[in-house]
Amino acid sequence: MNADIPWRFPAPLNARTVALLAAALLLLWYTGQRVEIGRMLTLSGEAVLAQAGIADRSQVADGLGSTLAELVPIQLSARREIGRIEGFDPNRLPPFAHIETAETRVSELNPETLRREERVVRTAWLVEPFGYAFHVAAKMLETLEIALWGSVIAVLIGLPLALLGARNVTPHPVLRTGSRAASAFLRAVPELIAALFLVIAFGFGPIAGVLALGLHSAGFLGKFYADDIEDVDPRPQQALAAMGAGRLTIWGNAILPQVLPQHIACTLYTFDRNVRMGAVIGLVGAGGIGQELKGRFDMYEYGHVGTILIAIFLVILTLDLVASRARQAWR
Amino acid sequence: MIDIGIADLCVRHDGGDQALADVTLYIPAGQFCAVLGASGAGKSTLLRAVAGLVTPSEGRILFNGTPLSHAQHRRIGLIPQDFALSGRASVARNMMAVADIGLARSFAGLYPHADRARAAHLLAGLALDETHLVRRADSLSGGQQQRVAIARALLHRPAVILADEPVASLDPATGEATLALIRDEARGLGATLLCSLHQPELARRFADRIIMLDAGRVIFDGTPAMLDGIGIPPRIRAVAR
Repeated sequence: MNADIPWRFPAPLNARTVALLAAALLLLWYTGQRVEIGRMLTLSGEAVLAQAGIADRSQVADGLGSTLAELVPIQLSARREIGRIEGFDPNRLPPFAHIETAETRVSELNPETLRREERVVRTAWLVEPFGYAFHVAAKMLETLEIALWGSVIAVLIGLPLALLGARNVTPHPVLRTGSRAASAFLRAVPELIAALFLVIAFGFGPIAGVLALGLHSAGFLGKFYADDIEDVDPRPQQALAAMGAGRLTIWGNAILPQVLPQHIACTLYTFDRNVRMGAVIGLVGAGGIGQELKGRFDMYEYGHVGTILIAIFLVILTLDLVASRARQAWR
Repeated sequence: MIDIGIADLCVRHDGGDQALADVTLYIPAGQFCAVLGASGAGKSTLLRAVAGLVTPSEGRILFNGTPLSHAQHRRIGLIPQDFALSGRASVARNMMAVADIGLARSFAGLYPHADRARAAHLLAGLALDETHLVRRADSLSGGQQQRVAIARALLHRPAVILADEPVASLDPATGEATLALIRDEARGLGATLLCSLHQPELARRFADRIIMLDAGRVIFDGTPAMLDGIGIPPRIRAVAR
């Protein structure tokens, strides 16, 4: 009954795959030691145990806990000394704002009597209950605008790079190599480093931010778009080429419809990434929420930092939801 | 009017298999030439080589005595076996891509009146209507996609029609009507029609000439009447069933 079957059926996991997996594990073990993965696991484990009340103390949990504790309560209101507000009109307060007066006793040396005298100083403050939240929102909007224009520049540079860099549409192999190299170069310069140089060239503000994000993500889009174009089903292209259609017609009718969902997903991801990186490059003075974050962090105003971090989180979450819907619509 | 000359054509696949071996044919302008053969006999390779999509390892293909130029590509109408439509694009966009009117006009849907009239005429002849124009090609059935591919190939009034099993996805009645439409269009245009088929009976009824391929070689080249005398080789008949 068990007649010998002469055919050999290949197993999905063969000796070569196993050898590759073993080599990968060896590499992870070796590099893990160099980057102190063992210590990271020990310290993190201690922190978790300390939180659960099993271990006594944890250096990591203590350090992280005290910093995080300072982030709350988050700062929503803004308080400004009225004496320093130019052209202040008490009859025309901003919406929801009110004035608070604070009294402080000040001890001063009287130059005439050469005695220390105490006196009461009254300071009037303009308090806007959501003033700081609005300020953060305005800065966040600036970051979104920087990210938007960074992404627009990335698409405008990335698409031609991809059309030159994709093997199946490039007019010449030399152009392909050049375009791939240009994409790699743009990707190789991190936004933060590019922003440092661009701030020197263009000064503090959003121009440096827009260019830093745009150039770096153009390198990404140039590569991703090109890879998508190279992966398309070649048959519609071949059919049109056989019937003498021009290069642009083939791209527009046989390639673009196939790659559009991937192009849109990549572009949305680039925008999402640019919003996050827009917050980072603000640290070196390239405008937006990052500049505000750096200023508050340096002044140890962690309540303000908490507000900024929550604002960034909410924006990223919203963008993710919008991007997800957009991808669904273009599937 | 374009005639096709094929001299000592050899095509090897990437793996080194011989797909076509020493194929020499002359197809006069305006002739309906059916190519029969079992699966893997080389029918599609022959059509793809004539369309310029496969580079021969040896031999030449000449259109009116000259190698295929870009201008002559514009006079080819290709019906690929797998339809080769852009799945995510509408039927209208797939059809009009062949009109090659420029990207801006094409994206704006500014198709010339003559092209729109021709597309409507062809689609109606293939039992498709206006509602199909807006539908994505990948939302159509296999048979509908095949008919769109046929209409696309005929849109620009080609002088050479290369049809790779153009009725394979259609039921017998629709297949017959569709093949009749292709033949009539080709006659009307004075086009040379090279058409691979799996149905010997259709080839006998419609074609002016029948070529049979087996393992990349021509084993029969004659009129349907000549075939009546010697019969269809059993291997091809078996596949046709």
